[in-house]
Amino acid sequence: MSASHMPSPRPATGFIRIGKDLQAWIAGYRCPDCGAVALQMTLACRHCSSRKPLQEFRAAERGSIYSWTVVERSYPGIPVPFVSVIVDLDDGLSLKGTLRGADRDSVRAGMPVSLAFDDAGGAVDADGAAYIGYHFTPLAGEKS
Amino acid sequence: MSDVFVVGADLIRFGRYPDRTPFQLGAEATLLALDDAGLGIRDAGAIYAASTFNAASMMAQQILMQIGQTGIPCVNVSNACASGATAFREAVIAIKSGMYDVVVAVGAEKNPSGMLASGKSEGPPPEGLFGSGTMPALFAEAGMVHSSAYGTTIEQFAKVSVKNHHHSTMNPKAMYQRETPLEEVLSSEMIAWPLTKLMCSVNVDGAAAAVLVSERKARELGLGRAVRVLGSALASDPWDARNGVMMNVNPVTRLAAASAYEMAGVGPGDLDLVELHDCFATAELLHYENLGLCSDGEAGALIDSGATALGGRIPVNVSGGLLSKGHPIGATGIANIVEVVQQLRGEAGRRQVQGARLGLAHVLGFGVGVGAAGVHILEKPSRS
Repeated sequence: MSASHMPSPRPATGFIRIGKDLQAWIAGYRCPDCGAVALQMTLACRHCSSRKPLQEFRAAERGSIYSWTVVERSYPGIPVPFVSVIVDLDDGLSLKGTLRGADRDSVRAGMPVSLAFDDAGGAVDADGAAYIGYHFTPLAGEKS
Repeated sequence: MSDVFVVGADLIRFGRYPDRTPFQLGAEATLLALDDAGLGIRDAGAIYAASTFNAASMMAQQILMQIGQTGIPCVNVSNACASGATAFREAVIAIKSGMYDVVVAVGAEKNPSGMLASGKSEGPPPEGLFGSGTMPALFAEAGMVHSSAYGTTIEQFAKVSVKNHHHSTMNPKAMYQRETPLEEVLSSEMIAWPLTKLMCSVNVDGAAAAVLVSERKARELGLGRAVRVLGSALASDPWDARNGVMMNVNPVTRLAAASAYEMAGVGPGDLDLVELHDCFATAELLHYENLGLCSDGEAGALIDSGATALGGRIPVNVSGGLLSKGHPIGATGIANIVEVVQQLRGEAGRRQVQGARLGLAHVLGFGVGVGAAGVHILEKPSRS
């Protein structure tokens, strides 16, 4: 009973979707005319300007690193260091995130990674609702 | 359409001015540029004022409140780091339209202190949870694309800082006038690999202004110090699959450069000097290729060769650049043009590029996932 009164978890960033089973995924949008993909729903396709409604899809959860940096100094209060990565997912979407569980010296472009959903560092909103976030991890079995 | 000439150009020394408003800084630069032209504010038909953080305060009008409220049209421009080039280009268009003979373009800024961010979002603070949104991290990631593709090294990126800090030892208007040897650049605080603190631009206050005139007015004033605007281009990000996810400074700069070269009827091989947007050391190497100073993948070799240092084949950022002269955001686009104007007139003192005939000024603005690039190509006075 108490669980039903718990506020539902919220997406920690705009393109995370959360199902009734509390499973999370990343929403992507694809243009039915040109096939361009994006993380945002827009009035028209920003690639070909087609006004046919973009089609939402569930993003792939594997991809590879396109670029990266090791952040040693950030805004005051942000724990460092951490590895910031741009990941090209297998379906064409790209996503920025933090890479966890990797030896920083092993990070390189092209490295296969998988998407993992998390509790966004334990953050809660003003109503006490938990957040769902994500990070990347080296793909299991990948030698580094 | 009339050709457009720059007959006045100057900047205040870049630095920190805690007791002065950006409007006062912009007013001082405007007066310096008008004095350089031998004109007064009563000669100006319009003013375009650039500021990333103060344009909403009607900066052009505020500047006129400091130097003379003549009732002319005031246009206030904000376009991130491309604000200054945007204001300058609007001034070019205003002259070309035939409506004005004398127009002022001014940029002024008092930057917020600390590390600049690319934007805000809802939910928990995204920094660290979803990678990094700091400007150094974005430009580190942009540089690592080059590094991954071509093997560019941290030493090659660091050499940009060594060079530009060296150049600014010859620029009395620069924030810093101090040599930074390679070992010092590499051993300064690591911010975001491969960028150390000395490979990040200096957050300063500053202002720069230019006076643009029609050909008719230039002839009346005398062409001896009149620098002709051969090419003027502004571009916004063309579509890229990673738009909004990562900053890509390349397509927008290439679009603006191609347009400016075409308008000017020249190519990169014709240039004698370049002032480009070295907000971070990684950016300078990317822009060597974006502006066509070398082939794709050759930027590391170009900095190694010394060709982009004063005395080399194509000196880049002889002013000291954003890295050492400083980067007062909205003023930078005008300041880069001021440097090219002074060089083409042969008035750049110890950092003069000998025999400079054609120069290019570039800036790159970047906000929340979108960008703007401005490129101007200028020609030395026909009689000097």
